[in-house]
Amino acid sequence: MDESTPPPPPAPPAEPSPPPPPPPVATSGSPTDFLKNVVGKKVVVRLTSGVDYRGILSCLDGYMNIALEQTEEHVNGRVTNRYGDAFIRGNNVLYISAAEAL
Amino acid sequence: MASQTLPLELIDRCTGSRIWVIMKGDREFTGTLLGFDDFVNMVLEDVTEYETTPQGRKKTKLNQTLLNGNNICMLIPGSSGPEDA
Amino acid sequence: MRTRTLRANMDSSSTGIQEPFDLIRLSLSERVFVKLRGDRELTGVLHAYDGHMNLILSDVEETIMIVDQVEGVPEGHSTVNIAKRKMDMLFVRGDGVILVSPPSRT
Repeated sequence: MDESTPPPPPAPPAEPSPPPPPPPVATSGSPTDFLKNVVGKKVVVRLTSGVDYRGILSCLDGYMNIALEQTEEHVNGRVTNRYGDAFIRGNNVLYISAAEAL
Repeated sequence: MASQTLPLELIDRCTGSRIWVIMKGDREFTGTLLGFDDFVNMVLEDVTEYETTPQGRKKTKLNQTLLNGNNICMLIPGSSGPEDA
Repeated sequence: MRTRTLRANMDSSSTGIQEPFDLIRLSLSERVFVKLRGDRELTGVLHAYDGHMNLILSDVEETIMIVDQVEGVPEGHSTVNIAKRKMDMLFVRGDGVILVSPPSRT
């Protein structure tokens, strides 16, 4: 740093209105934000039947239809099936939970 | 008619605090409400799932979770859930 | 084929799938596994699907799990009867579909 530099120039002319709020950060908490954060991560998808699918969330749509990769099907705590890819119809979904820290 | 609180406004006031969610079936959740949408799909944090089965109540801890609004029956703002009482 | 070009050009993730239905589209003419409500499972060649997940499958084998849950017997120790049957061509109504798994892509 050069000690002799003059003080910084005055701030640019004030805007007529306060600056716009920052764009919503991805952590504002809405379902959409949650989904943005969780795509590509390990998740647990529990169906209303109680069956769990653990895998990497590839993508999903507005109906909560879900595409999972490297999926394990868990029934009563036991692995009952494995799928490279799986499409889960959204009406069966109870929740999608992050299986790793976000 | 003076201003009345819409149901979802009440839930909106609850964001950031604990909430108890009772599903249509034998299932309940508690967690910190991070957000929700018009379908009342909810994002919860530090979640506990309670499942009532013939064998008794089963508890499951969950990370951040998106709960499908489809099966939600009741919401109790500010409550820590079935173990609160 | 449009889908192939799309896949080749875009590549956000390792799979190049943008929406869940892409998985199904990429499985057309392939043998898929379908899990249905009522403990039914199908494998068959996927000929057509729509936004409800109504499906047309051919050369289908259906597996029906009939679990005889006996009182007092711990879970996992009950007898399971498995019935299988074959069908040449089948329409599956979408609302019964739980899961569709394409053949593994490797």
